[in-house]
Amino acid sequence: MQKIGRRGLLASAAIVAGSGGAHAQRLPSHEQQLYEAAKREGEVTWYSGQLSAESSEAVGKAFGERYPGLRVNVVRSTSQVAFQRLSQDMRAGVAQCDVFSSTDYSHSALLKRQGRLLQFRPENAAGLLPFVKEAADPDNFFHVFYIGVHLIARHKVQVAEADAPRSWTDLTNSRWREKLAVGHPGYSGAIGAWAVLMRKMYGWDYFKALEKNRPQIGRSSIDPVTVLNAGERSVGVAVPSASALLSMSRGNPLELIYPIDGTVVVPSPSCIQKNAPHPNAAKLFMEYATSAEYFQVTRRTFGESLRADVPPPEGAKPLDQVKVITPTPEDIETGVPEVKESWRDTFGV
Amino acid sequence: MPDIATALPKPAMDAHPPTRLARLRYLEPSNLLWILLVLVLLFLVAVPIGKLLVVSFEKQGSGEFTFANYLTAYGRARYLDALVNSLILGTASALLSAVFAVPMAWAVSRTDVPGKGVIWGMVMGAFIIPPYLGAVGWILLAGPNSGVLNQAWRWVSGAETPIVNVYSFTGLAVVIALHSFPLIFIFVKAALDLISSEMEDAANILGAGTLTATRRVTLPLVWPSILGGIIVVFLETIALFGTPAMIGIPARINVVTTQLWQFFEYPVRVEVAAAYAMPLLLITVGIILAQKLLLARKGYVSQTGKGGERRQIRLGTWRWPVFAYCGFVGALAVVMPVAVLLQASFAKAWGRGLSWSNFTVDNYTYLLFRHEMALTSIWNTLWFSAAAATLAVVIAVLVAYIVARRLVPFGSALGFLAMAPFVIPGIVMAIGFYAAYAAPPLALYGTALIIILAFTARFLPIAFANSAAAMRAVHPEMEEASRILGGGRLLTIRRITAPLIQRSLLGGWLIVFIVASRELSSAVFLVGPRTRTMSVLLYDLSEAGNFEVLSAFGGLLLAITLVFVVIGMKLAGRDFMLRRN
Repeated sequence: MQKIGRRGLLASAAIVAGSGGAHAQRLPSHEQQLYEAAKREGEVTWYSGQLSAESSEAVGKAFGERYPGLRVNVVRSTSQVAFQRLSQDMRAGVAQCDVFSSTDYSHSALLKRQGRLLQFRPENAAGLLPFVKEAADPDNFFHVFYIGVHLIARHKVQVAEADAPRSWTDLTNSRWREKLAVGHPGYSGAIGAWAVLMRKMYGWDYFKALEKNRPQIGRSSIDPVTVLNAGERSVGVAVPSASALLSMSRGNPLELIYPIDGTVVVPSPSCIQKNAPHPNAAKLFMEYATSAEYFQVTRRTFGESLRADVPPPEGAKPLDQVKVITPTPEDIETGVPEVKESWRDTFGV
Repeated sequence: MPDIATALPKPAMDAHPPTRLARLRYLEPSNLLWILLVLVLLFLVAVPIGKLLVVSFEKQGSGEFTFANYLTAYGRARYLDALVNSLILGTASALLSAVFAVPMAWAVSRTDVPGKGVIWGMVMGAFIIPPYLGAVGWILLAGPNSGVLNQAWRWVSGAETPIVNVYSFTGLAVVIALHSFPLIFIFVKAALDLISSEMEDAANILGAGTLTATRRVTLPLVWPSILGGIIVVFLETIALFGTPAMIGIPARINVVTTQLWQFFEYPVRVEVAAAYAMPLLLITVGIILAQKLLLARKGYVSQTGKGGERRQIRLGTWRWPVFAYCGFVGALAVVMPVAVLLQASFAKAWGRGLSWSNFTVDNYTYLLFRHEMALTSIWNTLWFSAAAATLAVVIAVLVAYIVARRLVPFGSALGFLAMAPFVIPGIVMAIGFYAAYAAPPLALYGTALIIILAFTARFLPIAFANSAAAMRAVHPEMEEASRILGGGRLLTIRRITAPLIQRSLLGGWLIVFIVASRELSSAVFLVGPRTRTMSVLLYDLSEAGNFEVLSAFGGLLLAITLVFVVIGMKLAGRDFMLRRN
């Protein structure tokens, strides 16, 4: 009897493991407690400008599978638009957002200063890589579970490897006239961070020179990936590595270029609103987003792993092997509003 | 005497209250209804716009009186450029629409052009395709390097340079015109249908050929309709948000709507946005006044008491060139964009063209099964539009009835209020709704109600025009017969009037439903996380330029719209969307 019982147990364990999380797994006790409380709230609303729409939806779905009875309202847009929506909520005095994630560091910093954030430290965050732990708020008002890795991408057929630009400054060469595609700092937080870094390194004249090459301007930093796939333009500027790698895995002829003057890495915070309508679900989501399970999901769409127990996505260079440039929080807070204005003056939109 | 004096007023004072009550008894329910309707219309139309005006003079936070918002809104060359761009764009698109629409309307109404059913279908198609979807289609067609048309051109001619570029001012104006011309077509065709051939005959007898007669007699007679159509397209164009965001940003053209959007960036500056929108309202009012002046000096009567004969002009050898022109416009507006959208929606990467290795249904399965919001947004769209259409038609028919039967004094004021949103750009209306009703005490922001109310207000003029036309067609004598036989007002409406106008109202309901289901510019500032509509989700998806998924979502939107168009044709007649009685 006992033997059969044990065998049965093993078999059922194998089924649970094999079905890949379709059934509720045993949760760590801190998650279990939050889960019980969150079940009464039923859902969590996540304004996000970090992962692509497809990856965000995958995260939402995986969350619902790990914690049955809960669902994620994924409100995916560019970071500045996400913050615009949150600002509209605040101005109207209506609480709709639980977790807010953007690629613009100043959003969370500002919300913290205004006392609009909920203090919470997810236990799973202990397993994050040291540099992301350091990027989080020391007072635990916001945490980092996403970094944007932004570099150059080329269309393999239209631009041969030998001719490819190797640095950000190469892009101002007139041979790239009408060949470039880029996002917009008024929409994308990551493009704002990139623009701040370029201005810091080369001055605003860099963008005046870039403008002469008539880049095609989209909104999201991801937009150039589609523009390249279509063959509309041949070099993508400051595109996220995850979206480019995902597109490459689907057979599109793209190639990543890690610029010699630095791959832009943007630590991107997420925070829980003090007036969150679903505070427990929000806390649980924060636990989830700092756990290994989350990075297993985002890894499938080539998101960077920020935990030592989840390997980096395939095809991406480990970041310790390339030159990395990162804006400081101060750079972002003062710089992004300025580069948005300058950008609109220089590029007209 | 004193006794009488004190005795007399007493019964009079006693009698007073009963008299008042008695008077209340004679008060028809229509008077109460009138008061209720005034309140509803004030709520839907006057308060949001009034609030916008007030807010434009308020200092953010304190609410003090200030002109600073106007200085901010118009204090930068870039902001002024956006206004100028919008005005030029509106004019260009409106004139182009007329170039597309007027010959088609003339051909269908006055001539024996072949394939009228096909032309009809094209106009209808151009009408139901949301403008932003048309924009996506044209990005795929006329992207300077990747666009299907330019690739074909390079292949044929061996040229290096593109033949068409969607990312240009012309591209933007043409794409907008291709989805606006049906408005002018509807107006002009309805007017042309009324002109009897005798007027043209007279010109012919005096020696004018068909062309001269058309140019000198027929078209001048429908000039008010052409002008009316041009104005409507102009107003729609300056209020358009999706197309300028998708084409205008890569083309580096900033317009009023994309500028208003910028004023909603953190910190949300409703005050500046309101100030920025005010001249827009003045311009639209100015245009309407100018139209009145332009038309006041001449007579355009083509319908008289005498019955006129309406013969089709025989085009002879010109039949096919005329058909070709209509077909050309139809191909640009419907066939080509829909074809590339369908291709992209079933493609892994649309740039790779038609091949089995590129075929996938994944874009559809992603939306239907792996996207948390897609299905919700479809459901939201359906019920918001249905609720708004119902509300709009109910309000419109009540107002139309009161106005048509002159039940109350100043009834026409109601009609004016119901038509007012016609001249208010949708995005301005949305900002008005946000300013007036988003915050407490009503706190409607993020609720379904605020979107339904905004849609109702925005499309009330369509429902009202439709209901007013339906009411005019019902002679009061039928109702009078019922009243003489003892039927009350409400019973009469229920048993006599309602059945008579049912079919037209259904047509009106469907038109409002369809235009509401694709509405973007008034929804984009009002949606919350759970109340996003298909158009807003489509806009969000468009940010990252993922055209395959975008096209699949557009495909779903079109499929749903088509279902309702077919239902409409079955229930309200084949031409329900393009009729203008």
